[in-house]
Amino acid sequence: MATPAPVAALNLSARFPGSVTADARPGYSGWIVEKGKLLEVTQALRDEFGCDYLSSVTGVDYLPEGKMEVVYQVYKTTGGPGLLVKVQVPRADPVEVPSVVSIYPGAELQEREIWDLFGIQFSGHPDLRRILMWEGFAGHPMRKDWKEAYYEEDGKPFKTRWPEGKHALAESKNPFGDNISYPAGFDPEKWIPEDAEKALYGALARYEVRDEAGLGTDHVIVNMGPQHPSTHGVFRIAVMLDGETVVSLKPVMGYLHRNHEKIGERNTFLMNMPYTDRLDYLSSMSNNFGYALAVEKLMNVRPPERAEYLRVMMAEMTRISNHLMAIGALTNDLGAYFTPMLYALEERELILDIFEAVSGARMMCNYFRFGGVARDLPEGTLQKIKDLFFERLPRRIDEIDRFLTENEIIRARGIGQGVLTAEDAIKYSAAGPLLRASGIPYDVRRAEPYSIYDRFDFEVCVRQNGDIYDRLMIRFDEIRQSLRIIQQAVKQLPEGPVAAVKPAYQVRVPAGEAYGRVEGPKGELGFYVISNGKPSPWRYHVRAPSFINLTAFGPMCTGQKIADVVAVLGSIDIVLGEVDR
Amino acid sequence: MTAEQILFLLTGALILGSALMVVATRKLLHAALWLVAALFGVAILYAILQASFLAVVQVVVYIGAIAILFIFAVMLTRREMRDQGQQTRTNWWIAALLGLLILAGLVFLILAVPGADRLPAALPEGLDTVRALGNALVSPEAYVLPFEVASVLLLAALVGAVYIASVGKKD
Amino acid sequence: MTFASILEWLIKGFVWVMILLGGFAYLTYYERRALARIQVRIGPNRAGPLGLLQPIADAIKLIFKEELMPARADKLLFFLAPIITLTPALVITAVVPFGPEGLNFPLFGRVITWQIADINVGILYIMSIASIAVYGIVLAGWSSNNKYAMLGGLRSTAQMISYELALGLSFVSVIVLADSTRMIDIVEAQKSMWFMVLQPVGMVIFLIATLAEVNRSPFDMPEAEQELAAGYHSEYGGMKFALLFMAEYDKMIAICIIAATIFFGGYREFWFLQNTWFSVDQTPILGPVYVFIKVFILLFGMIWVRATLPRIRYDRLMAFGWKILLPLSLALVFLTATGILLAQEVNPLFMWGIPVVSLAAGFIAILGMYQTLRRKEHARA
Repeated sequence: MATPAPVAALNLSARFPGSVTADARPGYSGWIVEKGKLLEVTQALRDEFGCDYLSSVTGVDYLPEGKMEVVYQVYKTTGGPGLLVKVQVPRADPVEVPSVVSIYPGAELQEREIWDLFGIQFSGHPDLRRILMWEGFAGHPMRKDWKEAYYEEDGKPFKTRWPEGKHALAESKNPFGDNISYPAGFDPEKWIPEDAEKALYGALARYEVRDEAGLGTDHVIVNMGPQHPSTHGVFRIAVMLDGETVVSLKPVMGYLHRNHEKIGERNTFLMNMPYTDRLDYLSSMSNNFGYALAVEKLMNVRPPERAEYLRVMMAEMTRISNHLMAIGALTNDLGAYFTPMLYALEERELILDIFEAVSGARMMCNYFRFGGVARDLPEGTLQKIKDLFFERLPRRIDEIDRFLTENEIIRARGIGQGVLTAEDAIKYSAAGPLLRASGIPYDVRRAEPYSIYDRFDFEVCVRQNGDIYDRLMIRFDEIRQSLRIIQQAVKQLPEGPVAAVKPAYQVRVPAGEAYGRVEGPKGELGFYVISNGKPSPWRYHVRAPSFINLTAFGPMCTGQKIADVVAVLGSIDIVLGEVDR
Repeated sequence: MTAEQILFLLTGALILGSALMVVATRKLLHAALWLVAALFGVAILYAILQASFLAVVQVVVYIGAIAILFIFAVMLTRREMRDQGQQTRTNWWIAALLGLLILAGLVFLILAVPGADRLPAALPEGLDTVRALGNALVSPEAYVLPFEVASVLLLAALVGAVYIASVGKKD
Repeated sequence: MTFASILEWLIKGFVWVMILLGGFAYLTYYERRALARIQVRIGPNRAGPLGLLQPIADAIKLIFKEELMPARADKLLFFLAPIITLTPALVITAVVPFGPEGLNFPLFGRVITWQIADINVGILYIMSIASIAVYGIVLAGWSSNNKYAMLGGLRSTAQMISYELALGLSFVSVIVLADSTRMIDIVEAQKSMWFMVLQPVGMVIFLIATLAEVNRSPFDMPEAEQELAAGYHSEYGGMKFALLFMAEYDKMIAICIIAATIFFGGYREFWFLQNTWFSVDQTPILGPVYVFIKVFILLFGMIWVRATLPRIRYDRLMAFGWKILLPLSLALVFLTATGILLAQEVNPLFMWGIPVVSLAAGFIAILGMYQTLRRKEHARA
């Protein structure tokens, strides 16, 4: 299976002769757009071709060719394969590309990320600041010529990868503490990045809506986090308040940033698999799935039947466990003192038991391999799965549902609060339950079936109002659908091998690009992988649903009370491991 | 001097001292707290007079509601008001003069009341002061008219407040 | 006022404060165990048998914790705030009688009552102490120089003032029913019938309003963990925090004692034990035991609510207090007074009209609330 063929009907070069050409590099697909025509082309894409959903934006640094590329993945919310649009610019500072935020507002955070990591400036972006690195950071770390201060090597200096005697650890060359030099008169202990705060608060004030009636009142800026119990990790929300009402809001992230993508480009392909576990650490199986799909597209292998079924089962179990956690955490954010959380966790533990049985780990499963899965089900596990997913869980989900959804306080706090309309949901590239709760029946499992999802009978859950309550309820719906899929998969599970290729430490991946996307529990999880035939990927990009869903966070909270900010965040369901990567 | 007189003098000193601090302290919130102390002193005075109901009501209404609203308002204002600025205006002496005049008037008034220089007689054993007060407030022979007039006044104020608040919201 | 009476107050007060402090320690244990049971956990079970030494371990830990003072805090108020918070919680129960007159005993020529102070405006005393309890929280929030703490302080002020009105009015119903403001009279008036039966809606309002007064879930706005980190005590640590915590739990105990006294018959026996050996008239020593049992049950109710209900949003909380509880409790005062007047003037059977009509009023209020919620729901579709 090669890369997804570009939609034949969407012939961009015929519509824009001269300025759009098909990407003819071997293993590549999509369209290369002239920089000056980008806005025109994207406008046409959205309005004429119906590709209203900008799934992902990312940069690629082609250092040898002296080029930089920005890659846009656009899809139709009605389903079907999407379009790859690329802009190539010479690699000379400043690298500049027009911003598409005016056409696809969902690009806002992603363009900021590209600016931060690649140093590609987006002209016309409303708030182009660094996002993952701190203000004042020198350089753009995802550029290929940027060397990490600590491991100043192209690849990891492992003995196995260097001839005997040549291998030297960067640590031994640069002992920790000596490998950093500061400008004269600079004391890192005392340095406070004032400009960063100013830029942030300035950005807040820009969205200010002033109510001129009555007395003039001051607006208060409250920073929630990075140390705050309900930001689900080290996440900061800068809120401008008028009394208790939110005037504007900016998410501030990057506290957990470890440059996952840079690490991924230094690792070999297979070494990345356990790293994907750490993205959304609540749903590692699903992360494995997306990455395996992308690399399998490049390698052109298909896993055997049994492995496909196991993959689907594990991915759906992940969805259930993640949604249980999301429900628990959301009710906790609404102030229910841990009770629903603990009831949900009790069920989640049982699912984790199954993960432990098949992969040996409860959370960091590292279960998938290119062309299969790591191991078959151990003896007795199938019975356990049957007991859990046919008998226990359906009843327990109904019970939790009954207790929570008729609760007057949850209804009062959820219904009509934090509304994300369908148009906005598409506009801000929201994905997963967030998108479907707003009334868009878009599910990658249906829109562009991967693996064997076309064989199962399930419904794409959808709710119409897009408020907190619907986002809570849709998770119950999705758990029920996942149960259905698992029940079908268990019944159909064939015998046979679980891996198409022999287990090996190293895989050979032909040059080319591939975008593998799965419907993760939090939304569309995509892996954009470019191989140049070497052992490590040239580019490894994660389309992180938690991160992109946060684009809609500010607009959803404006006009709400401060207490709702917490509930809205809980209803988006983010994991900081994935947001910050 | 009896124990009661000592208590009275101490309370008086507390009230006057904290009233002075209300105008003398630089921090707005501290001023509000000194006001609370002064109001509490008044409650003690009522208690010394065995007017237990009034003492309790003094605490509930003045300390528990009015002073706390002051503090509420102070907390909602900007903090810059705290420690700066001149504390007196140029014509402070007019205010001082007026204050003295009012004090003189009050002293004169109190001295005119018969028996102002004597200790209060002890209340008769078993007198239910609460009941007596209640009866006095609603019996036609006593204070029912002022009581009702005050109620109407408060109601009017309440309606006015609601009106102002709702008008502000609509615009 | 003699030396002996002052000495008596001191001793009784000391003993009672000791009981309250011990009660605080074991209330935390009780709460943690009960919460754990509800949440399919076990709860503290390591320190001592059944974890019974856990509160002591907690206390030792808190004592040795570092005391922090925020740099730009108002030092004096920051120090005073925990004390100001704790004091009302300790003194508020001074007027509550814990045993019947039959239990009083002579000692050194004085009759020792089971009550620290028998004042004729007992219930109003409770009201007044409850109204100054907010100061500590406000000052703690303000003096910390922290936005979360200040928001917590502001919220608690607004919340407590609002719910005090409903609380005060439910006191008025009780005063009218008992025809007295003395606590011991109120208890004795419930000899044949608890006020819980005569004024059930008043009792519910009282319990709801007290939940708001002591900042318990679902009204724990001032310290809403998910929104304000820890609210007014964000900046407190060590023993200062322990004092704030202690105040909160002692307030819970106090409020349950008061509820038991004014609605659940105080030290009087349970209704089905009337005229048996278990009646306090025959066995006065059972009085304090009954108070304890009732408080224990009411405390469980509070813990139960915390374990099961999410938090109401702040503006809804205020709306509920002002638009539902206040008019309803006003109506109840009127209904109660009318009922008593009719019972006195026309027929004693009108006494039974009070609970019936009150329940109807309460039902109408709930219906109104439900309607507004439903309307919102229709509006969204």
